[in-house]
Amino acid sequence: MSMVPKHLNPGVCESDHYGRILKYDHNGRSFGLHLSKRPVGVRQVSMLSELKIGQTAVLVALELPESVQNHLMHMGFVPDALVTALRRAPAGDPTVFAIDGMEIALRHETAEAIRIRPATPDDLNPHFDPSLHTESAELLEVVR
Amino acid sequence: MNACCETPAFVPPAPRPSSGPLKTVALIGPPNSGKSTLFNRLTGLRQKVANYPGVTVEQRMGVMAGVGRDDLTLIDLPGIYSLTPYSEDARVSIDVLKGKMPGTPKPDAVILVLDSLHLTRQLMLAAPVLEVGLPTLVLLNMTDLMEQRGGHIDSLKLARELGAPVAQISATHGTGIDAVPLFLHQQTNRNAPTPLALPVMGNAASTHSWAAQVSRKTGYQAPLSVEGTRKIDNILLHPIWGPLLFLVVVVGVFEVVFSIGQPLSDGFGDILARMGEFVRPLLPAGWLQSLVLDGAWKGISSVLVFLPQILLLFLFIGVLEDTGYLARAALIADRVMRTTGLNGKAFIPLLSAYACAVPAIMATRTIENKRDRMATILVTPFMTCSARLPVYMLLIAAFIPNIMYLHGFLGLRTIVMLGLYLAGFIGAMTTAWLLKSSILKSSETPFILELPQYRMPTLRSLGMRLMDRANVFLRQAGTVILSVTLALWVLAHLPVVHVGGNAYAAPELADSVIGRLGHFIEPAIAPLGFNWKIGIGLLSSVLAREVMVSTMGTLYGADPATQAMHLQTALHHDMTLGGALALMIFFAFAMQCTSTMAVVRRETNSWKWPAIQFLYMLFLAWGAAFVVNHAVMAIFG
Repeated sequence: MSMVPKHLNPGVCESDHYGRILKYDHNGRSFGLHLSKRPVGVRQVSMLSELKIGQTAVLVALELPESVQNHLMHMGFVPDALVTALRRAPAGDPTVFAIDGMEIALRHETAEAIRIRPATPDDLNPHFDPSLHTESAELLEVVR
Repeated sequence: MNACCETPAFVPPAPRPSSGPLKTVALIGPPNSGKSTLFNRLTGLRQKVANYPGVTVEQRMGVMAGVGRDDLTLIDLPGIYSLTPYSEDARVSIDVLKGKMPGTPKPDAVILVLDSLHLTRQLMLAAPVLEVGLPTLVLLNMTDLMEQRGGHIDSLKLARELGAPVAQISATHGTGIDAVPLFLHQQTNRNAPTPLALPVMGNAASTHSWAAQVSRKTGYQAPLSVEGTRKIDNILLHPIWGPLLFLVVVVGVFEVVFSIGQPLSDGFGDILARMGEFVRPLLPAGWLQSLVLDGAWKGISSVLVFLPQILLLFLFIGVLEDTGYLARAALIADRVMRTTGLNGKAFIPLLSAYACAVPAIMATRTIENKRDRMATILVTPFMTCSARLPVYMLLIAAFIPNIMYLHGFLGLRTIVMLGLYLAGFIGAMTTAWLLKSSILKSSETPFILELPQYRMPTLRSLGMRLMDRANVFLRQAGTVILSVTLALWVLAHLPVVHVGGNAYAAPELADSVIGRLGHFIEPAIAPLGFNWKIGIGLLSSVLAREVMVSTMGTLYGADPATQAMHLQTALHHDMTLGGALALMIFFAFAMQCTSTMAVVRRETNSWKWPAIQFLYMLFLAWGAAFVVNHAVMAIFG
């Protein structure tokens, strides 16, 4: 058992190297109970760096050091926020993302540490408000 | 306090209280909220800039003369997103707000500026600021733009929600600023601030959901994002046109700074020299005249001549920054800059350093990451600044034959000049790489770049920026440069020689203290192919590189302007080709510039960094010159 890397061991609630409890393992599978309330199906949790240009996704969590996470959250990178990949810089990196009415460029290495899920029609509803979303409080717990 | 640019005071309609409990006001706001513009408007340029003790954060204070309250001090806090003490800027802000910053009075009231175009996000700063408990006025900036673009906010509801007065303003156009004197007047006449009942804020996510709730309750409607910006970016960030236009901009800035700035600087230098000559008959002949004119005035003018070029460069940087292109340039340059460990924001400072390292180091303020900023500051003096040109030109003209290659398209002299530029560039990049992979390694602070919307720059803000930079530069010239110049003059005029009777005269340069120093260091520079005269030149050029030319001129008894040929011939007889090339390489690498050292000390707030930088560059320059001298001697014999 000790030969199996921890991140390949599903079903066990694990924490990242900053001590925060994650509700998704590193393959994107979730193990939180609250997620069973969501539509049944394969949940695709991927990284922001994988988002194709023109696509929109919902931000799930930031797996970055506390200070960076704090900085990004104050720039609008909060859980449940809609994020769109706008364009790549002429050299292919960094990528410009539209979030919270702003355009912010991140390098691949940073975007790689930001988890996203595909946006549902519910998310794309213009009256959608993160603070009203029932599950946002639970997601806040994840971040906390 | 700087009183040179006083503006006529605006008379407030309300009766002016002579004194009250209110003395100090703090201005706080997130980056890009228009805080600086508002600060300039409120103080009317009567401000002073310094550093907070022990940190590299800039302290900006002024009297609120812009709203007719020159009895009040306004403290401009650094632009921050939150009061979470992760960054030095936030820690300084907390200390100032709580009155724990030594030397800074505790503010009695706070003015919070928020950009109404992104209010939800900006409100995240309101929570911790209101929590401090000081009487606070919330100013929603750029409301004119917000309404133009279909946004809306009910400021009365927001005031109720925040428990603080809210006013809509436009700092750029000056509308709604009346709210500030009104608020100050109320605070002067009322002692007890109303207690606030705010939810206890935990982390950034909960603050964000609070901010989102507040903006929803107060009917905030974010303005539609402007399609224009994205359309412009489709061209300016195009995979092919983007980099091409970027190059055009870079070459254009260069071209203008050199083709227009150089004659301006030369003309200004002539005027300064004539001013000196005009004063000469007014002073009694003798040591005082020599001290004032040949010592102080000459030294100050040698720095002042760069002012037109520096202002021109800052005008360009200002236009690029205010329009929003600077952020795009950083985005395009990032991929190249990161190979050395720096980021895209270092590009513009390094580019400016081709004119002068002093404004370049001042321009590194746009780099938020302290370690990246430090690395950029440390490599900047390697870039070939315009003060190296006179030295290069003199030595190239004296030692490099005018041979043309490729049917006259490329001369040997041009190749040598380009080689020197390249040497400086390689020195900078290698040093950056060394620093970023050792002492200034910063993996935990990633590159986060906000791309603002394109805007038309205003003359007012460009003017303010130029005044501010000129002010910093002149103060530099007025203090450090003046003292070093005087010290050099004294060293060149001591010990005095008794010429009979009561008459004393300055010694021959070779017999002066500095001349003896030249002889003293000769053993250290002889392996580079330099004699003691070059040694004196090197010592005096620590003041500024171009001083080398005038020192050599004095030493060889020739004026550099009128008898340039004479000096070239003299040098030719005194130096080998190896020594001349070694001297050029020495100038490419050595940090022979007091202004740069002074500005590095100012920006890093310690003598440690300029000292390390000076020794490192000296070591590198000596090594490179040694190699060049011996290699050239081995080849050409």
